[in-house]
Amino acid sequence: MIAVLGLVVGVVVGLLVRPEVPAVVEPYLPIAVVAALDAVFGGLRAMLDGIFDDKVFVVSFLSNVVVAALIVFLGDKLGVGAQLSTGVVVVLGIRIFSNAAAIRRHVFRA
Amino acid sequence: MSPERTPGHHLRKELPAEVPAPASGDRRSAGERESAEKRTAPGNGAQQREGRSRTVPGPAGEAGQTPEPGPAGQGSPEDGPAQRPQTDGGDEPGAAVTGRQRLVKSLWPPRVSRAQLIVAVLLCGLGFGLAIQVASTSDNSALRGARQEDLVRILDELGDRTQRLQDEKQSLDDQRTELENSSDQAEEARRQTAEKERQLGILAGTVAAQGPGITLTVDDTKGTVEADMLLDTIQELRAAGAEAIQVNDVRIVVNSYVTDLDHGGISVDGRKIGKPYRFKVIGKPEDLEPALNIPGGVVQTLEKEQATVAVERAKTVVVDALRPAKRPDYAQSSSR
Repeated sequence: MIAVLGLVVGVVVGLLVRPEVPAVVEPYLPIAVVAALDAVFGGLRAMLDGIFDDKVFVVSFLSNVVVAALIVFLGDKLGVGAQLSTGVVVVLGIRIFSNAAAIRRHVFRA
Repeated sequence: MSPERTPGHHLRKELPAEVPAPASGDRRSAGERESAEKRTAPGNGAQQREGRSRTVPGPAGEAGQTPEPGPAGQGSPEDGPAQRPQTDGGDEPGAAVTGRQRLVKSLWPPRVSRAQLIVAVLLCGLGFGLAIQVASTSDNSALRGARQEDLVRILDELGDRTQRLQDEKQSLDDQRTELENSSDQAEEARRQTAEKERQLGILAGTVAAQGPGITLTVDDTKGTVEADMLLDTIQELRAAGAEAIQVNDVRIVVNSYVTDLDHGGISVDGRKIGKPYRFKVIGKPEDLEPALNIPGGVVQTLEKEQATVAVERAKTVVVDALRPAKRPDYAQSSSR
């Protein structure tokens, strides 16, 4: 519940404050958000499985974000930023889908 | 998802859809164990579950955490049996209820634990980033998401468009200047034409004129003044620079003629003029008066014929006798 409240608070603050995204961070923010979403879905699934561990969640969350941003950064440096970020989004999307399927199985038994 | 798993569950995480059997079995066993624990010893079971979900044993020992499982544990045994008949068909009660129950339990009642707080902070960051990204993407979505090469292309297109529009503006400006000039020229030409018309009208006698000049009065009491004398007078005045001449009420123009009438009297342009003959002349008075008064000139000739002649300078002489404009039958203007 606290976690959901945290999410809501974050969204509201982000919408209200509307900060200027620094130009350096700008290309990595969407990928980082997707990676974090992946981590959150994984965490939700783990919680439904009864094996949720906050430490693992924190580490996976942060490492997901960092690695995703790093991949995009590397891709930009190599000149394949667009393709690589597409690839990252695809992979993360697949993972989110499989996690969502597991969650669905838990919640709806189907 | 892999980092969230404990090592024992690596099979399930790799093939989540294909191998549900061990997963569900594992889950069911865990759930049954849990529900059994709950049913038998509510408080103790909750504590155990709390401890198991937290693989790090440290927080379990913290003072702030220990009271938490108490109320949660009290709530769970009441919820568990109540929900099970509703949510489940009944054949596999433990597995289904466990997943949903965990979800429900974690949502309500809210518990302040370290895990919840940490996850809340992370999710807060996620929501923040999500909101920022959504807001900035919806700002001007056309350019925000574009890659560098697209931006360069868009910039090029904009530059071309700007160039084209500048060219168009330039040509339109030129056109406007041209039109303004031509309309100015037309206006000027009209003005000059009107001016010229007035000047020519004065010469042709179609418009009235006023200006400095003289008035010449010839009183022919004896009836000795003849047409040629008046013609000489007119010629003399013209030679002295008279610009508009009027005798009594007849305007003298370029083709005026003076004739003697059979039974006395003089007609100008076919109109009889009565005595005395009054000349109204516009011109430079300093030129006109001496021209008439020169020895052997008009005045002397007339006085020799017993006529009285009076010449007066005037600041303003009004020549208002008019002559209708005559439209030529054959001759046409050759200009244009």
